[in-house]
Amino acid sequence: MTTAEAGRLAARDEHPAHQLRRFDDVTAPVLLDVNDLRVRFNGGGRVVRAVNGVSFSVAPGETLAVIGESGSGKTVTSRAVMGLLPPTAQVSGSVRFEGRELVGCSEKELRQVRGRLISMVFQDPARSLNPTMRIGAQIREAVRVHEKITRQQGRDRAIELLRMVRLPSPETRYVEYPHQLSGGMRQRVMIAIALACRPKLLIADEATTALDVTTQAQIMEMLLELQQEMGMALLLISHDMGLAASYTSEVAVMYAGRIVEGAATEELFERVRMPYTKVLLDAIPRIDRPSHSLLPVVPGRPPDLSDLADNCAFNPRCPRVTERCRVERPALEEHEPGHRYACFHPHRAEGE
Amino acid sequence: MAVRLPEVSVAEIGVTAVHDAAEIAAPRWRRDLELWLPAGFLALLVGACFLWPLIDHSLPSPVGGQLQNANVPPLSRGALFGTDNLGNDIFSRILYGGRVSIEVGLGANLIGLCLGGYYGVFAAFKGGLIEATMMRILDMFLAFPALILAIVVSQFLGPSELHVIFAISFFSVPAFARIARAQTLRLREQTYVTAARLSGRKDRAILFGHVIPNVVPNLLTFGLLGIPIVIIVEAALSFLGYGVPPPGPSWGNMLAVGQSYLSSNPDLVIIPAAFLIATVLSLNLVGDAVRDRWASR
Amino acid sequence: MTALDEPPPAAPGAPLLEARHVVQEFVVRDHGGVRGGVVQAVSDVSFEVREGETLGIVGETGSGKSTLARSILQSPRPKSGEVRFRGVELTKLRKGELLDARRHVQMVFQDPFGSLDPKWKAARIVEEPLLAYGVGAAERGRRVRELLDLVGLDPSLYADRRPRQLSGGQCQRVAIARALALSPALIICDEAVSSLDVLIQAQILNLFEQLRAELRLAYLFIAHDLALVKQVSDRVAVMYLGRLCEVGPAEEIYRQPLHHYTRGLLDSIPSPDPKVGRRRPSENLGGEPPSPLDPPSGCRFRTRCPRAEERCAAEVPELRTLAPGHEVACHFPLEHAAV
Repeated sequence: MTTAEAGRLAARDEHPAHQLRRFDDVTAPVLLDVNDLRVRFNGGGRVVRAVNGVSFSVAPGETLAVIGESGSGKTVTSRAVMGLLPPTAQVSGSVRFEGRELVGCSEKELRQVRGRLISMVFQDPARSLNPTMRIGAQIREAVRVHEKITRQQGRDRAIELLRMVRLPSPETRYVEYPHQLSGGMRQRVMIAIALACRPKLLIADEATTALDVTTQAQIMEMLLELQQEMGMALLLISHDMGLAASYTSEVAVMYAGRIVEGAATEELFERVRMPYTKVLLDAIPRIDRPSHSLLPVVPGRPPDLSDLADNCAFNPRCPRVTERCRVERPALEEHEPGHRYACFHPHRAEGE
Repeated sequence: MAVRLPEVSVAEIGVTAVHDAAEIAAPRWRRDLELWLPAGFLALLVGACFLWPLIDHSLPSPVGGQLQNANVPPLSRGALFGTDNLGNDIFSRILYGGRVSIEVGLGANLIGLCLGGYYGVFAAFKGGLIEATMMRILDMFLAFPALILAIVVSQFLGPSELHVIFAISFFSVPAFARIARAQTLRLREQTYVTAARLSGRKDRAILFGHVIPNVVPNLLTFGLLGIPIVIIVEAALSFLGYGVPPPGPSWGNMLAVGQSYLSSNPDLVIIPAAFLIATVLSLNLVGDAVRDRWASR
Repeated sequence: MTALDEPPPAAPGAPLLEARHVVQEFVVRDHGGVRGGVVQAVSDVSFEVREGETLGIVGETGSGKSTLARSILQSPRPKSGEVRFRGVELTKLRKGELLDARRHVQMVFQDPFGSLDPKWKAARIVEEPLLAYGVGAAERGRRVRELLDLVGLDPSLYADRRPRQLSGGQCQRVAIARALALSPALIICDEAVSSLDVLIQAQILNLFEQLRAELRLAYLFIAHDLALVKQVSDRVAVMYLGRLCEVGPAEEIYRQPLHHYTRGLLDSIPSPDPKVGRRRPSENLGGEPPSPLDPPSGCRFRTRCPRAEERCAAEVPELRTLAPGHEVACHFPLEHAAV
């Protein structure tokens, strides 16, 4: 057993993945703590409130899925955590990583964090990889940002990383260009780059959306195995509730820039409370539904983020709406142990 | 597998993405200034060049000056910019010279836009051997250095403003054709063109209904930025003696004459040069601003 | 006969659309335009669609499903093979006759914005097919209003909007209205909902079902999402690297997949039920799809198939019927439990 392998085993023993963590368990160590995060964009005379008071936390080794449609604010949230928003964005609130406040940090300080402590994988590997640089060079570059290594050390490290992401013939891949690889392979390279410095938190922003379903399954499996080996936490941003159900231990659902429901995965899926979450679940085509069955749909479209009122943002489309929902905004509260939601009329199963 | 589109229209988003980038580059008021200030200058210039001689009957003729009035300094009575070595009123010559620049600039670009634009669109739309042949013919013209070609044509036809327009068209047409072809190649692959075909529309209808309307904005922007280029070429031709023949004023031949008197009467060079610079700069600024705005649509 | 009359239906029992041994190829150009190789995007594909039926075609990248759709519409014509619509052989038609035949088969594309001319207003977009077939102005106006209503867009609000004033879902509705303009019998949906948000996707899928019932439409529904395809289809065809692996009733494909690729696809779908938990699809489908430029000999799936043997490399498996209406192209298909 090499030192690296021993280290990996130790890390895995210390940080078991998929541990169920209750939201009110304040004694558990917290890796990422987001508190009342707000992001506004000023442009063209309008203020777009992309994120409106989002709070969640991720423990070491944990997997959290943030689910939402486009326009829900999930991507902006993840970018805010990494400090990757354009200058037109105004960020307020708190994002603490290992106790250290990231909001308001300078670019220089953030660069210390990115790649080394928190890493990110994006949706479109074709655009994230430099088409004019060889794969090996890009991985080496990612390592060299944070560690001083020689070219030979860089090569060894890069090949080790390529092997880690299960790319066949890593030595060949090392000298290839991105266009010579398929989409799935490119995404593996992106993951290799992201993991190059062994970050403590990996943010996967729709990382598998552009991939075939079979490739997606392989990549997700690999991510989870790596997560376990490295004791890393995983923040999964997606619109796919199936992914959340199959691969994560905690889920938070976002709508119109807020978290509207959050719980451990099994809890949330078994006891869905928010009408929006239920609608989202019902709208997914299921393989076990009979052919030509009509999907339960809600009319309308997501709200205009520049025109949000102080009420429940889902009210124009909600099947359970009442007058109260139109004038008052429900607060996100832990109405049941380990299950928080923001609704005046949540679903309740029969007999509860 | 596909990128999921947000369920809002482009109009609702207000194209914040592109505007954001431009906003970072410069605040809105500055960008507006960069469009309207030069546009205002150009409007004034065009108005002055074409209207002033019609309205102001006391404006001296640009030609046929009296030698005893030669080299009167600027800001003298009766001669706002003074007179040149032959006694011609410089202000008047600037106005008439401006007419030439504007006419040639617009003329050559209009010909290029219409002829060259249609040529390129047609070639790219047809594709195959037709396209290849048409583009090779074009390449023959593009192979010549533009100025030499213009000189040769102008020499062949004889110096005159109209002939200058023709001469310059020899390279504005291929330039537009190239742009039009590139745009059409891109448009040809658009899904809505395929959809139109599948709807049963014939080639001609697709060309005029879908391709040309979507190519024209880009061509117009290109044309706008091409006007200052043509103006400079006209000035160069006139400077070299192949453009507007003296005594007819052109900013170019005013420079040619003035350069001999640079030490004694530098205004003969400075004034036409200043107008040339100001006009070309304004056209470039306006062209850039229009392109930025149209690109963000 | 005006352009909007219904054409005489085919003889009862005959399929609406029949494709036989369709082959489509592309020349791949290397750097500098040199001929780099030939990709056979569609290899010997045969299937049929009956009146009022929805046939789903599911496949991942490189499966050739979109190419197949274009080939059916003769845009461009397939390299070889036959495509018969109501008995009329499309591959043999000349340009004028093809234009006439095309009105019965229309298409809705993946990119809602890209399939609409950004400079055209919605009403004009929807009436374009009517223009092509010489329908008079008054009739066009009436029909456009009717069509917009049919797809759930209030004509008074939406007729004058341009694509940039429409959301993705609204654009797709306009595209569907356009496809319906000539009262086609068959609509090909090429990943028509893949770019839409989940809830909007559900709305549009329901719209397809509604239209199917109201207008007795047949669909060729192409997608990469097996659950989606299964839900809207009567029968499903699974494609891999240009060939059909399995064709059968939707329910059977799901409950009794006979091809290993179908099985792998089913296993890869993340289930929205945490109790089902993580499957271990890596046991079934490792590796990447091979390059279409150099597909494996014999059965193209053999490089990833857990059951592959020598015969699979030597012999191309043909589609054969293993159960009523259920065909498989495999030398060693999964067990079919006789009911």
